[in-house]
Amino acid sequence: MLNMAGVGFRMWAKALAKGRSSGLSALLSGCRAASGVSKGSLPGPYPKTPEERAAAAKKYNLTVQDYEPYPDNGEGFGDYPKLPDRSQQERDPWYQWDHPDLRRNWAEPMHWDFDMFIRNRVDTSPSPVPWSTMCKHLFGFIGFMLFMFYVGAKFPCYQPVAPKQYPYNDLYLERGGDPEKQPEEIKHYEI
Amino acid sequence: MADFSISKHGAMGAHLVRRYITERDTEPDPAKKYEFDPNFGFGERKEREMIATQEQMNLAQLPLEQRDYCAHYLLKLMKCKRDYWPNFLACKHERHDWDYCEHQDYVMRMKEYERERRLQLRKKRIEEKAEAA
Repeated sequence: MLNMAGVGFRMWAKALAKGRSSGLSALLSGCRAASGVSKGSLPGPYPKTPEERAAAAKKYNLTVQDYEPYPDNGEGFGDYPKLPDRSQQERDPWYQWDHPDLRRNWAEPMHWDFDMFIRNRVDTSPSPVPWSTMCKHLFGFIGFMLFMFYVGAKFPCYQPVAPKQYPYNDLYLERGGDPEKQPEEIKHYEI
Repeated sequence: MADFSISKHGAMGAHLVRRYITERDTEPDPAKKYEFDPNFGFGERKEREMIATQEQMNLAQLPLEQRDYCAHYLLKLMKCKRDYWPNFLACKHERHDWDYCEHQDYVMRMKEYERERRLQLRKKRIEEKAEAA
């Protein structure tokens, strides 16, 4: 595991201190940044014994009662905890979170779909009006509008005027009529 | 039978009420062709005169909707606008002439509709009389 920033610093420090070129050993040893994963903190296989469960709960910063792993049915979750499917938007906006945008504290166990439940994305907060009411209002309105469009098509509105009269046999030639054929004579009169 | 009572006050849209509710069989249908002979009821009927020729309208590239019986006024207006551009206020007289011609055309359309409607009512009266007899 190579951390380039740590390696670079260390090489510079050593070169300054000793005044001779650092060898391969310096590159390989390197120093470790605090952002790396610590030993034993990665997820592991599904816990089968109570001791394994307790160890997994401690690893994920959960109490043993709260710790509930995903069911072991071959989906590959291992011992990752099953947290409730609640989006970050539902959390208290006034509490002083460590990460205010994510509404999460340091070392808090992350949901499997945490990147989905951020505030910019999926939101599970309750709607202000019951879902059934919202559905009724929306589909009622859409249904009413469709019905009115249908009625409007069946009984169209129009002005009480006769069709407009055009000269030259209703513009026979202009509308692409055959110049060889003689069109029917259409006469218009004044009224 | 049309009832000449106070309840017959019609505003805009009265023709729609007649067409769809009260007099469904006599009110003219805009989709259907008018069925009465144009000369019926007239002694001598004057034909509408078309002044602009087809060639003139073609050269001016008028759209089809504007090639009506007022096209000669429109051609005059277009020439005036072309000659007096950029003074867009210059052709009021020509524009008014064209507008008035279009207005008269629209009034004629209204009269044609009304004529058709009255002939339909008359036809219905005659039929009812024949049935009653």
